[in-house]
Amino acid sequence: MASTATATSELAAPAPRRVVPIINPANAVTASRFLTLPFLWWAVDRGYHQWATLFIFTCAILDKVDGLMARVFDCKSAFGELFDAIADGICFGFGLVLVTAYGWAPLGPVSVIVSLGVLNTILRFVYMKRAGRATNYKSYAMERIVAFTAYQIGFATSGMEVRFFYWTFVPIMIITVAYDAKRMLIDPVPPASGARP
Amino acid sequence: MTFLSDSVFRMIVSLLTAGVGGAWVVHELVLMNRLRGANTKDPLVRDQWFGYVIGIAIGVIGVVGTLRFNGVL
Repeated sequence: MASTATATSELAAPAPRRVVPIINPANAVTASRFLTLPFLWWAVDRGYHQWATLFIFTCAILDKVDGLMARVFDCKSAFGELFDAIADGICFGFGLVLVTAYGWAPLGPVSVIVSLGVLNTILRFVYMKRAGRATNYKSYAMERIVAFTAYQIGFATSGMEVRFFYWTFVPIMIITVAYDAKRMLIDPVPPASGARP
Repeated sequence: MTFLSDSVFRMIVSLLTAGVGGAWVVHELVLMNRLRGANTKDPLVRDQWFGYVIGIAIGVIGVVGTLRFNGVL
């Protein structure tokens, strides 16, 4: 009887929060993505299309590997998610600006894409302010847009239907940012307990 | 400076784009199918639905772009 009571109280007690160190395998992989950027710049500067494609491909693959590492080594953390999002912004933002600066991608659509990316980041801060806590709005559509952005850089480095891919990307991005803006600015913010992961 | 011939490089980027794009469309359709019967008034379900539609659009663009690149369209 006593053991049952003890077991019940143990079940009722909140589980201690596991502290994940900032320096862990997943974050190391995320940080290693930055190492591809100087090589990408070197390849674009020299006009080495194949090498540039290989480096942006490596950067995109590492983006997938860090999530895998977090699951394998059980080191998922809020910081890791934020760091991953920041790394996405820096790596793909840098890549887009780089290929445009060297005339490998059209300036018009890239300006729209980068502007919408900045707007989306601002909206996320507004959402956090509305929520009154550090929270990240999980957008299923924007996750796909980010992956496609990596591809856009690859299309520019490989010279693959560049104008077609960049101009078709613009309406998709506009629709997604408009949908997310409504969700972040107008719709009610879900309570913290029921917040999505 | 190259490490592949133009034709091989062209084939690899085509496979990487059309292959992933096509698989992506199928993947999103499967996920959409799983949402059938879910409460569409739930904002989370609507977000997922919208995300999958965007994913399908991106996948189709990838396949169409690859076909254009190879002179099929």
